[in-house]
Amino acid sequence: MRHANVIILTDETEFARLLTAGWQAERQAPRVTVLTSDLWPEQEAPARDLVVVGPVREGGLTSVLRALDPLTAVILCVPADSKELGQLRAKYPRLIHVPLREDWAQTLLLVAGESLRRTEAVRLARQAERAAAKNENHATLGRYMLDMKHSVNNALTSMLGNAELLLLEPGQLSSQSLAQIKTIHSMALRINEVMQRFSSLASEMLEAENTSQAETEGATAQASQRH
Amino acid sequence: MEQLAADVHLFSLDKYGESAAVHKKVLIVDDSPAEVKLIQGLLEREGYWPVGLNDPKRVEEAIAHEHPSVILLDIVMPGRNGYQVCRDLKGNAEFNSIPVIMVTTKDSVSDKFWGQQQGADGYVTKPFTREELIRAVRRFA
Repeated sequence: MRHANVIILTDETEFARLLTAGWQAERQAPRVTVLTSDLWPEQEAPARDLVVVGPVREGGLTSVLRALDPLTAVILCVPADSKELGQLRAKYPRLIHVPLREDWAQTLLLVAGESLRRTEAVRLARQAERAAAKNENHATLGRYMLDMKHSVNNALTSMLGNAELLLLEPGQLSSQSLAQIKTIHSMALRINEVMQRFSSLASEMLEAENTSQAETEGATAQASQRH
Repeated sequence: MEQLAADVHLFSLDKYGESAAVHKKVLIVDDSPAEVKLIQGLLEREGYWPVGLNDPKRVEEAIAHEHPSVILLDIVMPGRNGYQVCRDLKGNAEFNSIPVIMVTTKDSVSDKFWGQQQGADGYVTKPFTREELIRAVRRFA
């Protein structure tokens, strides 16, 4: 799994310290950025997979969440009796609330781990969807090329065969006609060679693509196992 | 005359003895009248008696009527493909002794393998030269 980016947004230093220490004890720690609500950018927030919002100054939660993309995963860790919590939950359905009580750090780390895994799974699913769409395009092109190859080879059979039939009785043809039929025959053979080269190229491309796909799948499987 | 890379595969010969040489009638099954006419022209020059058929659904009827020594069978045909025809013929005790040569544009290894699996006795890839076609037919008739 790639390194996830987590922002801890709080005005309480101890909250950020405990959470960061908890993550450092984990097998795989995300990249953590700690910000206070004063530093929270109104326009351009740093790249993140998860935002953990801890205790902030009175009335600060609403302005912080307003600046976030509604699709961003957010874990809110504030007391269950926070005044703003009820309103925020109605407005941000994806908001996860971890009550700020004695065991909050362990609970938050567990929830955050699951949230990051979900984000990673969604990312991989989108990647797979893009790859599937690309493969589908290749498959359509391949089917079209096969169809064309069939038609071209049928036409070539007729050209070559009929030219050969005419060349079997050269006495009935003028020298000019004979030369022209020989040219037609020779050119048809050349087209056939080109078609065979295309077939070889298509096979090589398919082989290279399969190898590349196997490597990608292997890397993804290894990343999942590490996780 | 310039040669194409030979792409003629004969899967079996032993089971057809000298009896096949008695008749030299060749049934050509191909949905393209131009292909049938071409193959007829090539075979006639070699002393064969070619009979063309454009409708693959009527192969059994044509065999019963014409009693060919060998069948040249296209694969890509509407309604009933060459693999199906070959499988049906080889599963029919009345017709399974007649050699079947696939004559087709399908040139991959898997296509040839599948043809062999259906019981085909030979495989000629289009485009073919006159020599290639005649050589394949001569093995059986």
